[in-house]
Amino acid sequence: MKCFEQLNPFAVAVYYLCVLGLIMFSMNPLLLAIALLTSVLSAVLTGTANGRAHLFSAIVFLVAAVLNPLFVHKGVTVLFYLNDRPFTLEAAVYGLSAACMLTAALYRLRELSRVLSSDKVLYLFGRFSPKLALLLSMTIRYVHLLRVRYRKIQDSQKALGLYDDGNLIDAVRGRARVLSILITWTLENGIVTAESMESRGWGTARRTSYAVYRVHAYDALFMFVCAALTALTAVGVYHSEVVFYPVLDMDLLSPWGIAGAGAFTLLSVLPLTINGTEAIRWRISISKI
Amino acid sequence: MIVIQNARLRTVLRYIIPFVLIPAAVILSAVVFEGQRYLIVSLGIAALALLLFMTGFERKNIGSRRMVITAIMTALAVFGRFIPLFKPITAICVMTAVYLGAQAGFLCGALSVLISNIWFGQGPWTPFQMLAFGLIGLFAGYLSRFLLKHSLLLILYGVLSGAAYSLIMDVWTVLWYAGGFEWKLYLSAILSAVPFTALYAVSNVVFLLLLKKPVGNKLQRIKIKYGV
Repeated sequence: MKCFEQLNPFAVAVYYLCVLGLIMFSMNPLLLAIALLTSVLSAVLTGTANGRAHLFSAIVFLVAAVLNPLFVHKGVTVLFYLNDRPFTLEAAVYGLSAACMLTAALYRLRELSRVLSSDKVLYLFGRFSPKLALLLSMTIRYVHLLRVRYRKIQDSQKALGLYDDGNLIDAVRGRARVLSILITWTLENGIVTAESMESRGWGTARRTSYAVYRVHAYDALFMFVCAALTALTAVGVYHSEVVFYPVLDMDLLSPWGIAGAGAFTLLSVLPLTINGTEAIRWRISISKI
Repeated sequence: MIVIQNARLRTVLRYIIPFVLIPAAVILSAVVFEGQRYLIVSLGIAALALLLFMTGFERKNIGSRRMVITAIMTALAVFGRFIPLFKPITAICVMTAVYLGAQAGFLCGALSVLISNIWFGQGPWTPFQMLAFGLIGLFAGYLSRFLLKHSLLLILYGVLSGAAYSLIMDVWTVLWYAGGFEWKLYLSAILSAVPFTALYAVSNVVFLLLLKKPVGNKLQRIKIKYGV
């Protein structure tokens, strides 16, 4: 086995498609609570989100949870009145579920962009349109390159003594000069790139990919497990349908409901399990001599 | 770069892609897929935008050069999106469109959204943003003669494109919120977005005026020197 991040990009994409699909499609409070807990757990354990990201997610959660019961007055179980408007249990539960969905999806999307790095995205979509893949990769590279060059120019300007951060007007003018140099340099350089591509026969044959990912047996196994758990969850969700309005009607702990929730929990912690097992195996394999 | 040889096909594609195919894809992504397949739709739009870009030139080497320059301008737009509050994305798309052609403007707008959303968050809104910025670039290209001549028109275009962006994005807000289109909701969404619209308009104008001369001169120079 390999760790989750080293699986075939296709398998990783399938995994996130399954998880995000289940999170976004089902309005099952139990499932969504599990989704939120596991996505926070995995974000903390893998270090995907920093303090600011957690704070942002918490704000999103609170706003989403509070907005629904404040503005929707459907439902029969009135908890209390706010400005003569009923604050109902049903709307509150719906709001909480929606907040769980939103926050969990945010965490998972953040994780997705960490695990599927740009080269993997290009590998996935290179077959779809090689020209587009090249254009995207070139632009993403330029974003980074611009940052590097900006710093280079800034340093050389500073070394020449043309740049003083102490004075506001000087700082602004210095920055404008750096930007101007940056644009000239990059545009001129871009033409060289284009000529070079042209003379090396760009666009005359199929493009090949630098990284070659094969589908190994464990990739197939991983995708199979994903599909099976997703199917089980979907069946479970389908059989324990939740009605929010006008009366909350949910049977979360029916056999199907529990089976679905169990399958979803397993699916959600699958990457953590794989990486955890690998870590334990690594510990065991360390020689004690 | 591939060149579309048939002149008539080029003309047909030039209008059918931005005004029929891409809007159809955007609406489809919101209504039929209910925003679930936004990434596939976004990439499809990007591919269409690239095809549209290919209708903008007749010689192979011009295409390659123009593509690299467009990629650089797109990267600049993405780079600029990290500035808090004021975003130069519209201004850069307009500059690209004015000097490199309407089709390059569309490509710059659509791609800069697609790529910057890697950092700012992809979502069902991505196709709508791509369409909005793409069209802003496209029309700037159509109007390039007037925009270059009069600064006042450029300012007006900045204000109008801020408003147009809000109008297009509010369609998404309504579709997402209500699951169908309702005029009442649309109007209230527009009204509640007025502060943002104003911010877009102001930052568009500020950056257009700031970038007009320096970036314009550089693009003009590249254009004359290499015949992009």
